[in-house]
Amino acid sequence: MPSVSRNSQSPLDTPPLFSERPEWSDITPLDQYEDANPVAPIFYSADYKDATDYFRGVVKTGEKSERVLDLTERVIRLNPAHYSAWQYRYETLIALGSPLDVELKLMDELAVKFLKTYQVWHHRRLLVTLTRNPAPELKFIATSLKEDAKNYHTWSYRQWLLAYFNDEDLWQGELDFVEMMTTQDVRNNSAWHHRFFVVFQSGLREGETDRARVIKRELTYVKHNISLAANNPSAWNYLRGILDANNIPYADLGEFVKPYATSPQDLPVSDLVDLENPPPAKGAELPCAPAIEFLADIYEKQGGQDGLRQAAELWRSLADEHDTMRKKYWEYRTRDALKT
Amino acid sequence: MSEERFHLPPLARAGHASHCKRCLSGLPGSQSEVDASKLALSFYCIGSLDLLGAMDTTSQTDRQSWKDWIWEQQTKGRHGSGFRPSSFMTPRPGLGSSETYTEYDTPHIIMTYTALLCLSILRDDFLKLDRAGIINFMRACQRDDGSFSIVPGSNETDLRTLYCAFAISHMLNDWSGVDTTRAAAFIASCRTYEGGYGQAPFCEAQGGTTYIAIASLHLAPQLQKPPLTLVERQSTIHWLLQNQDQSGGFCGRTGKDADACYCFWCGATLEILDAKHLIDANSLVRFLASCQFKYGGISKAPGETPDPYHTYLSLAALAMYPPGQDVAHNEAASWRIEPIDPLLNATKETVKWAREHIPA
Repeated sequence: MPSVSRNSQSPLDTPPLFSERPEWSDITPLDQYEDANPVAPIFYSADYKDATDYFRGVVKTGEKSERVLDLTERVIRLNPAHYSAWQYRYETLIALGSPLDVELKLMDELAVKFLKTYQVWHHRRLLVTLTRNPAPELKFIATSLKEDAKNYHTWSYRQWLLAYFNDEDLWQGELDFVEMMTTQDVRNNSAWHHRFFVVFQSGLREGETDRARVIKRELTYVKHNISLAANNPSAWNYLRGILDANNIPYADLGEFVKPYATSPQDLPVSDLVDLENPPPAKGAELPCAPAIEFLADIYEKQGGQDGLRQAAELWRSLADEHDTMRKKYWEYRTRDALKT
Repeated sequence: MSEERFHLPPLARAGHASHCKRCLSGLPGSQSEVDASKLALSFYCIGSLDLLGAMDTTSQTDRQSWKDWIWEQQTKGRHGSGFRPSSFMTPRPGLGSSETYTEYDTPHIIMTYTALLCLSILRDDFLKLDRAGIINFMRACQRDDGSFSIVPGSNETDLRTLYCAFAISHMLNDWSGVDTTRAAAFIASCRTYEGGYGQAPFCEAQGGTTYIAIASLHLAPQLQKPPLTLVERQSTIHWLLQNQDQSGGFCGRTGKDADACYCFWCGATLEILDAKHLIDANSLVRFLASCQFKYGGISKAPGETPDPYHTYLSLAALAMYPPGQDVAHNEAASWRIEPIDPLLNATKETVKWAREHIPA
């Protein structure tokens, strides 16, 4: 059973060269064309030269058979960026009517092995577009993110999958999923971005149509997370994103933001817990730059001499003390605001 | 921070040039992945030499043989003409190769862009360029959603290929191969709430694709100018600057570690947006200085292995952001890089050559 031998090939096995296998003797291996002086010639390993010689030979004859799946897998394992091998493999799978779930199983292994290669993910998209069975993919993605929680291809694939199939059941677990990811690492911007995509960029799903309630839920979520880790730009960007997307004035968040833009010794001691405005966690390093900036934006918007004076004071504290890397930027903001 | 003096080691120009020359002369078998993007690697190597002003340290024979090899990658066929990454899918002639390419060794849009730049650096006369064929090739790559596939018929697409189509059209001074309106709509759909752009719709904002998006919008003469609203421009500038972290380097996404390549991607975008003066350039230089590998080449972060990609992009970033006069008395000369055009990503001299010789 060729499909079994294909999948049982462990990465540690070094299979015999194709030129040494009698069952390949009918194929003429084709050398790569190369003139006398190629730029950056690669000193190919014997394995790679053998596999690609046979691959060029097979492409020449146009053969699409089970053994071509073995051959293309070999080429891909030696060079996962070999997009022609991927393309030919895909066409061969289609021509043979191969079971795509078997192929996906192999991809489970290769995706993790070659996490940063475009082609692994591209191939997977093509397969799932045909199987039209996206649900198991969510679980696969969750597993894959365990290897690298911020892998760009993995997250892009999840976003594509959800948007492409746009199936009510698929979306259902997304907020819980994001919450799990931000609980593991509250600074994982990919998770925050994904949440924004799910809540604000993917249409109105059942249970999400009461937008006032959704916005309140999101504000509560992000404020809670800022209270846990005040100096987390991902959460502050998310907060700004909610407000910008829904035309909510930043000033509405003034009460919440102020304690984060204040030195701890200046904070009033209170036993009352305001659920709308969760205070910074004990020991938080305050004031934090994103909060100072946010507060300055409120004052700038408020305008007038008083507003601009207060904004300028905050920008100066960023420039001189709390965010000196961006000193020139804060000075520019000050000049820009005073100009108008 | 920028006010403080800091010790700045010299830029190891000779070492970085040697690193690139070594790669041009050969790669170990462990680098087989380069097969599918060899022309891009060649651009990073030759481009680094150009930025260092070191082209005259290469021999006329080498330069001629590089040109010959690059021209050999120009192929024609049913989808039009362009350059393939290398001959990795092309069999030796005499064993049945044909005049035209097959479906498995077509031109590649990213490689076509890098080939035009390499040949401009090598001051080629472009007499062999199949301009009409390239126009047809770009048409064959553009998809309904306005994006471009890497090779005709492939579903593999993202913003990188769109930039390449725009840069090629700009160099040809002929935009008849691309539908810029549809392409601009695709770019807009990649914008995110953070102020950057993702590599496809719904994806997270990323420094490289943000450069691609902003540069593309500025390359196309027929798109409205300025391409961003005041508010959009401000939020993009804000996000880009936020990416400079305490190391002085730039990260590609919010909260990730700094990586030398993003000093270019973010820094060049800021220059295009006319906000170059807002960067803490000395901190950026200090970070890149620490990414230099002791035997030549520049790596993505201190202590990592160097490669031509990070070497080129670090030098390109330094071309825009040299150390200030306050820090570089002794080593100032070593840090001088040829001026760069941030839109096409090559030295100004090379871009001038491209504009004079590539159009019909």
